[in-house]
Amino acid sequence: MSFDLNLILDSLPKMLAGFGVTLQLLVVSGVLGLILAILLLLMRLSGKFYLDWVAQVYIYIFRGTPILVQIFIIYYGLPQFEAIRDSVFWSILREPTGCAILALTLNTGAYVSEILRGGVLGVDKGLLEAGSALGMSARQKFIYITTPLATRLALPAYSNDVISLLKSTALASTITITDMTGIARTIVADTYAPYEVFISLAIVYMIFTFGIQKLFGVFERYLGRYARREE
Amino acid sequence: MEVLTGWWDDYLWGAVIVAKVFAASLLLMILFGLIGAAAKLSDSRVAQKIANGYTVIFRGTPEILVILLLYFGSAIVLTAIAKVFDPDVRFVDVPPFWAGTIAIALIVGSYATETFRGAFLGVKPGSIEAARALGMSNLQTFIYIRIPEMWRIALPPFGNHMLSLVKDTALISIIGLNETLFVAKQAITVTGKPFTMYILVGIIYLGFSTIITLSVMGIERFGNRTTVGAR
Amino acid sequence: MTDNNSRPLIQMIKVDKFFGSFQALRNIDLEVQKGERIVICGPSGSGKSTLIRCINRLEKHNGGEIIIDGIELTDKVEDIDAVRREVGMVFQNFNLFPHMTIVKNLMIAQQLVRKTNKDEARKLAMRYLERVKIPEQADKYPIQLSGGQQQRVAIARALCMEPEIILFDEPTSALDPEMINEVLDVMVDLAKEGMTMICVTHEMGFARSVADRIIFMDEGEIVEQARPTEFFDNPKSERTRAFLDQILSH
Repeated sequence: MSFDLNLILDSLPKMLAGFGVTLQLLVVSGVLGLILAILLLLMRLSGKFYLDWVAQVYIYIFRGTPILVQIFIIYYGLPQFEAIRDSVFWSILREPTGCAILALTLNTGAYVSEILRGGVLGVDKGLLEAGSALGMSARQKFIYITTPLATRLALPAYSNDVISLLKSTALASTITITDMTGIARTIVADTYAPYEVFISLAIVYMIFTFGIQKLFGVFERYLGRYARREE
Repeated sequence: MEVLTGWWDDYLWGAVIVAKVFAASLLLMILFGLIGAAAKLSDSRVAQKIANGYTVIFRGTPEILVILLLYFGSAIVLTAIAKVFDPDVRFVDVPPFWAGTIAIALIVGSYATETFRGAFLGVKPGSIEAARALGMSNLQTFIYIRIPEMWRIALPPFGNHMLSLVKDTALISIIGLNETLFVAKQAITVTGKPFTMYILVGIIYLGFSTIITLSVMGIERFGNRTTVGAR
Repeated sequence: MTDNNSRPLIQMIKVDKFFGSFQALRNIDLEVQKGERIVICGPSGSGKSTLIRCINRLEKHNGGEIIIDGIELTDKVEDIDAVRREVGMVFQNFNLFPHMTIVKNLMIAQQLVRKTNKDEARKLAMRYLERVKIPEQADKYPIQLSGGQQQRVAIARALCMEPEIILFDEPTSALDPEMINEVLDVMVDLAKEGMTMICVTHEMGFARSVADRIIFMDEGEIVEQARPTEFFDNPKSERTRAFLDQILSH
């Protein structure tokens, strides 16, 4: 079993060409997913049972099914309906990239909204009582007390979810997208050398993951500056 | 719905495969998780480093990549080994079932390592000290104090690990395992109804998720029967 | 309008409060005049905290009426807000906002609720910080202060809203013994200046020297109320006697 170093050096630049696609999938889905997550969170906190219930069902479905299935339903499944093909969304849904971003967004939105909710529930109730006693309105309490504290509480779990999202982008390769994994798989198909190619790809992802963790570490230290007792 | 006639059998068998993968990978995941946690908690720097490497690698690499690597990579390794014994051997195949099961067990096991480690450290030091002060041996402390508290702490995140295992099974269809997603792909070439087929896959996986979630909730309630309701 | 000076500041009339099937307050009748200093004591679970938490609607009473400065406490949000503007509260666990500096803790409610501008709010905040004798801590975060200092900040925070009444819910129970006095001193000063206060506490020395009236509660009822000398030297009820024996014997 030989380890072809030349092959690695050859294929790395090709795979890194896919880095831009991977990054695009990650950032766009991440941002849209976060917006969706906040929307779902507000629905769950609204106190109106019909909003809460709809959000809960949505979250249940998207957390209870594999993301690969969700991608396939959107990319392969939706074109089955003429209504979709005739609609204004067809230009997005026809493209694999649009479908991948949609699937990743819908999926991460469900997970992140639960993470945010965990943060909100973790805020000390006494602080909200102090806010009430001082005469603050529910909206004021949510903005000035709950949100800053919940964000800090949710950050570690959120960083884990961003890493999960990164790993999920690799699944876009199953619907012909030429992200890093997609390119790697074509190289493997041509060269019959899965070891070298896949291992180097894995290392690229690990470095990417490391980078994301470091970034969030900085974030966490900044947000948590009031929690450290520097004398 | 008539389009599904003739396919119910296949879907059923696909679901059975999912259940089999779940059972096998669950046992392996627990094994890997316990070994990893033990290594991280041990005094051996070497064991800690290896365990850390394990978690970094398998938490930082996309699941699909791990599956592909294990499947193709192990075939290469096994073929090479087999050639030593019998030069006429052309190719040793690794069944997708085992390549996939071991792959997802390794992946989720790396998360389980952290869960078990956290559960071990989460047992109140005061309880341990009290046990020692009462004269209980290390083994007795472990069995009667540590373990009951540990599994109570680990149960919620462990439930999530089980959900991950079930959902990751869909990824193994990529290397040819004939679970439900694989069946769906075949059904589509014949029936031409991708949406219907993939939705059915989604429903089946949602069913598995629901069973797991309800079971965990039941066990949690049982485990907390002595601690809930104190005024 | 009736003569405001003779109308009690707080009136509780036949107030009941249930938590599920458990009755926390039974038939409470209480009047507090402006300038009175009231101490409420009693065993745990007697309903003392619940009583004062009903006054600023942190708990909702189920029966009877509660009237603060002429405003009846109902579900109407405007009335609740009006009452909370006049009633301040100091909590056992301080409840300072951990993500804001000390001075911001004192300013935020002024800015949000009274719509005071930033400079005015800061001036008032610093004035009350000086009142509680820790102006130098203004730009620190709560976690950097000791328990006693945090509680004094909490008192200053309540004072910044310039309330008519301050409620104290076991203000020294979470403090180490050496810090209790610094907080009690602030409370004694407040009392001397004529602040209407209701204080749930176990600090009997404070009660004896500061209170106009001591109320003993047990099992959701007001068992006895009297001036301190009479309360300590001549308790009328058997339950009061039993409680005083327990609490004063160490």
